[in-house]
Amino acid sequence: MENENRKVLLTIRDLKQYFPVKKTKLREKQRYVRANDGISLDIYAGETLGLVGESGCGKSTLGRTLLQLYPQTEGQVIYHKDGKDIDLKSLPKEEMRVLRKDLQLIFQDPYSSLNPRMTVGQIIGEGLVSHGIFKRGDPAMKDYIFKVMENCGLDTYMFGRYPHQFSGGQRQRIGIARSLALNPSFVVCDEAVSALDVSIQSQILNLLSDLKEKQNLTYLFITHDLSVVKYISDRIGVMYLGNMVELAPTEELFANTLHPYTEALLSAIPVVDEDDKRERILLEGDIPSPVNPPSGCKFHTRCRYCQQKCKEEVPEWTKVGNNHFVACHFPLKHKE
Amino acid sequence: MGKGRYLLKRLIYIVFVFFIISILMFWIYKSMPGDPVDIMLGSSKTTMKPDAYQALYEKTKASLGLDQPLPIQYFAWMGNMLTGHFGYSTQYKQEVINVIGAPMFNTVLLNLLTMVVVFVISIPLGIATAVRKNGAFDKSVQVLTIVGYSIPTFIIALLSIFLLAVKFPIFPISGVRSAGSTATGLAAVGDMLWHMALPVLVMSVSGIGGITRYVRAAMIDVLRMDYIKTARAKGLREKTVIYIHAFRNALIPVVTVTTWWVVGLFGGSIVIESVFLWPGLGKMLIDGLLQRDFAVVLTMQMFYVVLSLAGNVIMDVAYTMVDPRVRLDG
Repeated sequence: MENENRKVLLTIRDLKQYFPVKKTKLREKQRYVRANDGISLDIYAGETLGLVGESGCGKSTLGRTLLQLYPQTEGQVIYHKDGKDIDLKSLPKEEMRVLRKDLQLIFQDPYSSLNPRMTVGQIIGEGLVSHGIFKRGDPAMKDYIFKVMENCGLDTYMFGRYPHQFSGGQRQRIGIARSLALNPSFVVCDEAVSALDVSIQSQILNLLSDLKEKQNLTYLFITHDLSVVKYISDRIGVMYLGNMVELAPTEELFANTLHPYTEALLSAIPVVDEDDKRERILLEGDIPSPVNPPSGCKFHTRCRYCQQKCKEEVPEWTKVGNNHFVACHFPLKHKE
Repeated sequence: MGKGRYLLKRLIYIVFVFFIISILMFWIYKSMPGDPVDIMLGSSKTTMKPDAYQALYEKTKASLGLDQPLPIQYFAWMGNMLTGHFGYSTQYKQEVINVIGAPMFNTVLLNLLTMVVVFVISIPLGIATAVRKNGAFDKSVQVLTIVGYSIPTFIIALLSIFLLAVKFPIFPISGVRSAGSTATGLAAVGDMLWHMALPVLVMSVSGIGGITRYVRAAMIDVLRMDYIKTARAKGLREKTVIYIHAFRNALIPVVTVTTWWVVGLFGGSIVIESVFLWPGLGKMLIDGLLQRDFAVVLTMQMFYVVLSLAGNVIMDVAYTMVDPRVRLDG
């Protein structure tokens, strides 16, 4: 973790993703939802990077923009593959399509993300054929799919069944099997367990960790559930209103919180220990509109340490410690 | 329960509905004004002595079975219908079965060609507009389809006759084949196709308008789904995403409209067939009604009943083919 010379898999620089807002008046100026407003980040090979933040802060957008599922507005996403640096934004469609084999996505909702008209075998096998791993109708493909299904905890008799015949947890396993069948190097888990029961959640989380070990994967784990992210991540990034506000290794983030928003977020984790009398920090008001974000530090409208400077100047994304980044004018001080 | 048992249940249900409707129709036609015996005997009433006429009247009535009470008459009629005796057409002076074949062939031919034209054009057009939603192409097609589908067919028919048959005489105004044509084989087929061009064109306009809009709406719904994003994330080609993943799911609602449309096609169009003097079922029905040729009209009505009942079952079966979540049981 502390070794900074680890291999970087993805370099993200000043990534912006704006969505146009539908005009209500004829001669209105075009406005944009700034879902991602300048995000810079390195993702190391073999790590699990957790991404947290409240709903609407742009976590899922970041995950999908990385994979170029949305036409990226600005910035760079550089994928380092076999010594080559590939800027995903500049790739023609067909080359990006080929690269999707390496960059996979597990969706949040296992109910809507599987095509209801395809059997499990077809869902898993389609990508294999499309990326030329197997030829259509190759008998070896079935064995390979069986193997993948077994790895993901699915019985092989489910091969010919349709998604609606499965439970939520099983469907999520199908989604995982589908993305991992391609042998990717990087997987975005977009709220991959949020739609499941807590008991199923832990099964799926364990499955994901096991598969990560086996297949040498890198995860970007997007969630709003802090206990999940604490359990699975090596590093955690905290997002607020389209910006990254703090990024640190998991232990470090919990022990040495620097951003007031992270502090408030962490204080919201329910505790079992009765003696643990932490102060619960309530954030007042709603998250401001990403169409008209506040000036200066976007968090200043809800920050309890807010000062004049925060309203005027945008805080820099600065490195404050070992692998610890924060964007705040007045990071929290800890009594050592 | 399996598919077979479900279909059997539906079949029994259909038989019930068929008999109930047939009773209603029979009753309605019986209560229509006009005495068939009177019409049949015609002028004899004025030339014969009243007593002799009365005797002849009673005799004819008995020979036609009309002296029996209504339920008995119904069963006799129904028995004949079921054994393929559809009655005697007073208009054509022939058995109904002999006069109904040619118009049915004409109607089915016309409609089948229309159907092919409509599907070949409207399905790709609907998909293309859905993919380019809100673009200039989509918006212009939207305007055209709504125009095509809201202008009444007889106006389109008259306009196209005026333009393509009178101003620029490319196609014949009406009829099935050229007058006095003795062409055989391929030439005869060509001549018929040439005559069909205008009616097919007119019928296609409204069909294309409706089906294109329907396909577009269904496709837009499906393209918004998460599994389309999954398909893209898998790294499938855009063509596969649209034609295999999206279109096959969009078919589900399209099947509903299509089935009813297919059933309707066999009915023939009274307007189109009258305008283009196309001797089909629609024209036959309206002629039959005007001439009080009840044997023909009643037979055709029963044909439509069977057609729509069958359409329902066909639709159910079609659903199971396009959507694995639909199962026929219960």
